[in-house]
Amino acid sequence: MKKALATVLLATLPAALHGATFFLTVAGLGGEPDYEQRFALLATDADKLLRTGGGTDRIVTTLKGADETRAKMAAALTKLASDAKPPDVIVLMMIGHGTFDGAEYKFNLVGPDISGTELAGLLNKIPAARQLVVDMTSASGGITPALKRDGRTVITATKSGGEKNATLFGRYWVESLRDPSADTDKNEVVTALEAYKYAQTKTAAFFTDQKRLATEHSQLEDPQRANAFPIVRYGTAAAVVTNPAKRALVTKKEEIENKIDALKYQKDLMAPEDYRRQMNALLLDLARTQSEIDKRNARWPLLL
Amino acid sequence: MAIVALTSCLCFAQAPRKATTPPPAASSAGNPTTLKAAEDLWKAGEFESANNLFKALVAAYPGNADYRVRWGQLFAERFAPGEAVKLYQEALEIDPKNALAYLYTADVLAAEFNPKAAEAADKALEIDPKLYHAYEIKARMALEDDNHKKAAEEADAALKIEPTALGAIAIHTALDLLADRESSWAPKLNNRAKGFELIAHLLVLNRRYEEGIVWYRKAIAAEPTLWTSHAQLGVNLMRLGREAEARVELEVSYDAHYRDAATVNTLKLMDTYKDYETFTTPTTILKLHKKEAAALRPYFESELLRAMAVFEKKYEFKLTKPVQLEVYPNHEDFAVRTMGLPGLGALGVTFNDVVAMDSPSGRTPGEFHWAGTLWHELSHVYMLTLTNYRVPRWFTEGVAVHEESATNADWGDRMTPNIVAAIRDKKLLPVAQIDRGFVHPSYPGQVIVSYYQAGRICDYIAQRWGEKKLLDIAKQFAKNRPTVDVLREQLGMEPEAFDKDFLAEVDKETATTVKNFELFTKSLGELNKMAREATPNTEEIIKKGRELEAIYPDYVEAGTPYVVVAQVCMKKGDKACALTEYEKYSRQGGRDSAPIFELSKLLDEAGRKKEAAAALERLLYISPLDQQLHPKLAELSLATGDAPKAVREYTVQLALKPIDMAGSYYNLARALNAQGQKDKAREEAFNALEAAPDFRPAQKLLLELSGEGSKP
Repeated sequence: MKKALATVLLATLPAALHGATFFLTVAGLGGEPDYEQRFALLATDADKLLRTGGGTDRIVTTLKGADETRAKMAAALTKLASDAKPPDVIVLMMIGHGTFDGAEYKFNLVGPDISGTELAGLLNKIPAARQLVVDMTSASGGITPALKRDGRTVITATKSGGEKNATLFGRYWVESLRDPSADTDKNEVVTALEAYKYAQTKTAAFFTDQKRLATEHSQLEDPQRANAFPIVRYGTAAAVVTNPAKRALVTKKEEIENKIDALKYQKDLMAPEDYRRQMNALLLDLARTQSEIDKRNARWPLLL
Repeated sequence: MAIVALTSCLCFAQAPRKATTPPPAASSAGNPTTLKAAEDLWKAGEFESANNLFKALVAAYPGNADYRVRWGQLFAERFAPGEAVKLYQEALEIDPKNALAYLYTADVLAAEFNPKAAEAADKALEIDPKLYHAYEIKARMALEDDNHKKAAEEADAALKIEPTALGAIAIHTALDLLADRESSWAPKLNNRAKGFELIAHLLVLNRRYEEGIVWYRKAIAAEPTLWTSHAQLGVNLMRLGREAEARVELEVSYDAHYRDAATVNTLKLMDTYKDYETFTTPTTILKLHKKEAAALRPYFESELLRAMAVFEKKYEFKLTKPVQLEVYPNHEDFAVRTMGLPGLGALGVTFNDVVAMDSPSGRTPGEFHWAGTLWHELSHVYMLTLTNYRVPRWFTEGVAVHEESATNADWGDRMTPNIVAAIRDKKLLPVAQIDRGFVHPSYPGQVIVSYYQAGRICDYIAQRWGEKKLLDIAKQFAKNRPTVDVLREQLGMEPEAFDKDFLAEVDKETATTVKNFELFTKSLGELNKMAREATPNTEEIIKKGRELEAIYPDYVEAGTPYVVVAQVCMKKGDKACALTEYEKYSRQGGRDSAPIFELSKLLDEAGRKKEAAAALERLLYISPLDQQLHPKLAELSLATGDAPKAVREYTVQLALKPIDMAGSYYNLARALNAQGQKDKAREEAFNALEAAPDFRPAQKLLLELSGEGSKP
């Protein structure tokens, strides 16, 4: 399974190969105390989770409250343009309200709003080759055309600019960063794809359970690429990323994982008993290898 | 709830028209714009053309009320009663003395069980005392109210005017059949299909479906092109679960262009049956939608069997045929299954030994106690069978409501504000007339009030005379005896005296709530407002909330004081206080999952794990499709050594297709391992790792189950 492979690589390659990750979270204008409080809370939670989300290769910036202005947001993006290098990763998360007038999307901020086109201009100046924009606002689907560019993945809470109700997607996106069940492949990394699927499923379930017409339909154009954006890491995943000491075992582990991946592709063409026998052997082998890695970790914890 | 549909039974011969015929005019379609031409088209089945001609006639002769009345009848026949009533009203604006406009208004309203039909019928008679059809409508309504005496009197009044009045003869025949008497009226029907059809309808209305089906068949034999009977025969066969036969009749009707909503909807619903799975035991047939079958089956099947075991013992007999339970995730499908029409307010319906009900997924979480509904409906199966379908509506509903909470006190519906208002306003009906509250409600919410009252009557009887008395009464109803006679004999008192005692008891029990109802309503809003303040006065809220709880203990709906107080207790860090409040909420039958989760969490933290699990088990009967519920209950079950329950819960969680499939497989593996099912545990550990090969706890478990490594 390609997805698994991508995740494994991300989790094990040295940080230098894929650079640092710059997170910029902006909580927009609430417009009323309830939303103001809600957006600020989400941004605070996200900030905390990102900062404690594993590894030292992450730079987290959060704008909320008095900082939620166009000037401050533009300044933060301009700073990223000077700080980030091509191997780095940029993750921009926008929480709040958005509007769409049929032609242009705007992110609501204190004072003048910022348009999709302006945002695209600022993001285009950032040299980081891989960029992820998670726009969790109402009408966020309207921003997609403006942000389209190679190497940039865009997640929006709504399918178009026409879905104008306040959204729930952001709440579940942030929740995914702390809920271990979001890590569906259990590699101790929650990728953008996993967070997206989590938030999408929970949002849809909310409307279904409440017997309400769904007023938002999140969008992600390239799931494969989204899986290459680790958002948070926990457990030993972050430590493994920075530790080349156990390369042999790690390499063996990767080889088994590749074999598992390949076997899964063969599943439909194989007799079920054969598939099961071979898969079982590989899974046991992987478990043993992981156990060996864990033992070494326990023996020489300082190597981590 | 055994609700049945009333067909738009156009069983009266066409009434004479007194209109003077205006000279013919030419219509655009080439037909002369005359009433006769419109009637001819109608008769020929060219309804669209007939409609156009009526339209032209009305436009050409705007002052002619009769054309509107007749046009309205076309709409009534072609499944648009609303349009029909509009035209009748227009006719009455032109000619306030138009008796036929009143008569046909009464007919349409009666078909919709609207009590205003009687008023319209009386108006028609006031204008034209010879209009015997109006008496027939009133007779039919009286029979629907289970007032057989009045029904006979009204039918006699019609016959006095017209000795061959078909509707009146059919009503007399139906009265005899319902009383299990040989009918001397039947031969006078003279093989007239519409008469048979009306009898069938009245039998069905009294839950005597099999007999109704026989009479629909007679109607069809007498007039094979009577599509209304084909359609209703199909609907009623469907009700009894005889789908293949039902489809034949409905398709006959459909192919003949008789496509009323019931026919079309039912056929459409039948096309979706491929999406259902059927599970059978020797005594049950359970139909569940494929998308939720795996998640619901464990609970529905076991609850069905449990209820049957209780009822067998209680009612002292075994059903001879399996009970069929159908569960619909889409409420409108359930409504169509039941009445042929969407928009039904009920949660479940019983037809003999077939029960159809909403799935928990068909309702907003927290508003529907599916197990209570299941017990309610199953009680009908026993009561209908025990009484050979002779039980009056109020009694079978009353027993069913009684059964909802007889086994589990927190299950039944609570006394809602509507019911409190009805008690306060002295709107409860005498027991002899309570059926009217179900069939022809005279104020909004009266049906719900009638359920409550019937249930409380049965509670009261069980309380005063013993539970067994309900069975004794049912056995008397099996002899087809009227309510008044049965109660007089079985309770040893006149129905009026019973009413007096019963109402005194209700008044006593509800006095505090009723007396302070206005205060409660006003104070509840204030309490919630106080709780929302930035710095709430916690002590004041707790004090006020508890006062409100004492006034109206049954109130567990939005803004309930139990939850408000519990949340305030939590805010001030007093978990014991919050726990007490959440316990009260749960005990009183609160159904919102959030407070129940809180209760379980607090009990767990207090080391009361078994009670924490029991709190969550209540939710299985309310929100069994809640994704959060099953893993929490499973963990508590594991912690309390109940591995089989943990296995069930994790199995259901997997059936709900959670986001974290690997985690769920792993948890199931753990539970199976705890239960000692090593091979199955290994399978599930394999599944977990197949989904997530790097899942370390699952790796450890697999190694352990394979004889390598230590316990995770």
